Amino acid sequence: MPRDLLSVRDLTTRFFTQEGQVNAVEKVSFDVEEGEVLGIVGESGSGKSVTALSLVDLVEDPGRIVTGEINYRNSELAESASENAPDAVDGDFVDVRKLPERHRRALRGPDFATIFQDPASSLNPSLPVGEQIAEAVEVQRRASANPRSTRSRTQSYGLGKFLLGTALPGQGYLTEESKARAIELLELVGIPDPAERAEALPHEYSGGMLQRAMIAQALAGEPELLIADEPTTALDVTIQAQILDILGDIQEETGMTILLITHNLGVIARMCDRVGVMYAGEIVERGSLEDVFDNPVHPYTQGLLGSIPDLESAGGRLQPIEGNVPSLLDQEMEDRCYFADRCPNAMEECLEKPPEFPGPGSPDHAAKCYLADHPYEPEQALPEDYFDDESSDTTVGRDDGKDDASGEGVSADD
Amino acid sequence: MSLGRFLVRRTLQGLLVVWGVITVVFVLRFLSPGDPVTFVAPLDASPELRQRIAADLGLNKPMHVQYADYLAGLLQGDMGYSYQRGLPANDIVLSRVPATVELAVASSIVAIVLSIPLGVVAATRRHSPADYGATLFSLVGISTPNFWLGIMLVLFLSVQLDLFPTSQRPVGFLEAWTHLIRFKLAGPSLSVPLDAGAFADDMGTWLWHITLPAVTLGTYFTALITRLTRSGMLDELGKEYVTAARAKGLPETLVRYRHALRNTLIPILTVLGLQLGTLIGGAVITEAVFAWPGLGSLLIDAINSRDWPIIQAALIVIGVSFVVINVAVDVVYGYLNPQVGYE
Repeated sequence: MPRDLLSVRDLTTRFFTQEGQVNAVEKVSFDVEEGEVLGIVGESGSGKSVTALSLVDLVEDPGRIVTGEINYRNSELAESASENAPDAVDGDFVDVRKLPERHRRALRGPDFATIFQDPASSLNPSLPVGEQIAEAVEVQRRASANPRSTRSRTQSYGLGKFLLGTALPGQGYLTEESKARAIELLELVGIPDPAERAEALPHEYSGGMLQRAMIAQALAGEPELLIADEPTTALDVTIQAQILDILGDIQEETGMTILLITHNLGVIARMCDRVGVMYAGEIVERGSLEDVFDNPVHPYTQGLLGSIPDLESAGGRLQPIEGNVPSLLDQEMEDRCYFADRCPNAMEECLEKPPEFPGPGSPDHAAKCYLADHPYEPEQALPEDYFDDESSDTTVGRDDGKDDASGEGVSADD
Repeated sequence: MSLGRFLVRRTLQGLLVVWGVITVVFVLRFLSPGDPVTFVAPLDASPELRQRIAADLGLNKPMHVQYADYLAGLLQGDMGYSYQRGLPANDIVLSRVPATVELAVASSIVAIVLSIPLGVVAATRRHSPADYGATLFSLVGISTPNFWLGIMLVLFLSVQLDLFPTSQRPVGFLEAWTHLIRFKLAGPSLSVPLDAGAFADDMGTWLWHITLPAVTLGTYFTALITRLTRSGMLDELGKEYVTAARAKGLPETLVRYRHALRNTLIPILTVLGLQLGTLIGGAVITEAVFAWPGLGSLLIDAINSRDWPIIQAALIVIGVSFVVINVAVDVVYGYLNPQVGYE
């Protein structure tokens, strides 16, 4: 019986911009089981990346996690946290958000590692790649050399130490062991000549090589959970396959838990055990891979799958989803199903926010849609022009700039 | 490209620039009003005497011959003689260099030590009182004229409170050190006493005298670098690699200084180099306010008396320092920003 490694409840992240409040992530709940690959799929601006950043507490100003629990199972952490933050602990679970900031920070690297979308901008352009990976190794080395209870203190590295380390040889943050380990990691992710390449700067790497280096950096911390935020989006199609292979191999060998965030349904189908579909900051449908791909309930999920070319029934036109992701500006959001304006099966009751109904698939299957509860009733249908007045301005301020900027829709490229 | 080839190429380019400076300054002499002979000769000098003086100074030769003579002299390290004092221009100008270099370096140190931490604090605590204070300071610092600040400092700190001397440079930095160096040259066997007391006295006097000029000259510079550091740091901290560095659990100190500040300093270094060059040539007003015997005040005197050998020599020294500083900046730049390297 797999256990949950991470249990997220009602996570809500908002951006307080000058134009108004942007509800990027709204009451998102999901569980990540130990050793599985959980996929989160959605269009640009659906809140996927902000969800990932919220988990590692790296949402930047003016964004803020407003409410929610991020329960992380780690008995060792629970034990040490029961002393300094007892109300965060519940059995083996620790609500990461209730920990003091420096304790939360100490979780990054050894507990949660992140791979970002664009490897070229995720590495410092003026430091050798090997050194940057060695930093991550060093974080882990220093962390595991100390018991958890003192970790947040021993992990800190003051300005005095830094100046001393810069001025005196052999006193820096990095050690020879961590540099050697960085080379091993580069070899592990399939970089030829790792010792030599470790000395090279990011601009001397190709995009695929850089993403391998980023994976090496994430593995350096031997994390419990790897959060991969669009790990293949910035890469060529052939390279994408290689990167997914590496991730798959590592997952198989180490049994690492992966949270994979992507707009690419092909990637989801290839990698994931379970899937959550995000739309306008909410998870609208979740379940096993089979539930979502074979028995989708939510019209949005159906629309996503309908926009994939299918080799077996070639010839028919692809079905795009009409319209755009709605504005996430608070003042423009109404209390209804956010997909209703694009939904072919919108009914009058959709003007009221649907709760989560169990789906027809596995016990895990659920959807935020009345259609999961009862079939479509044509006499209840909303008139087609119901949303026309407001749909003209729903694209304004849609992207909060924190999500993927490339503006891609959901696609099936593999 | 290797560092060696880079240096050779930049040195050749630098020589070209210096030659340009020499030529322009030389031609300038023929374009500017005022005959040097008028300043050298007695007021009641006869036309014959004036002719003789002109011949002595080599001013009666055709321009191209004068130019060739001047270049030939320069190649032998001879910059001519001061019209006014009859002393070699070399000696006069070189004797003024230490004072100017001291002032430029001291004000740069004041600026760097104050501005970079200030800019970093302002950027990392954005919208805090510290940030507003730093921003206000840099605005005031950039808009305050040098001469006014110098005079105000003298009025309050020297005249009213008697904390600092009003002017002069009674002893130089190197002169202070000679108390120790002389001992070293003589060797311990010769039993020349180590004059640490005299050294400490002279260093104290020197520091006491240079403080106000250095602060005056360094204020604009401090304000400028504070601004650049703050905006550069904000820029870098917003970049994705900083988020990625935080995501891998790196201590915030390293994220800020090893990653963000290092990349911020790359463009700042260029400004620093250019400013240091400007300080060497442009401390004229500050030197005048504090009667600081540097190149700037020498240049003003020389221009007033049409003492062309001195003007030329001073401008050449300033030009050469500009070139040297810029090459040095490029070398450090290549080290800090390996993406550029020595190209």
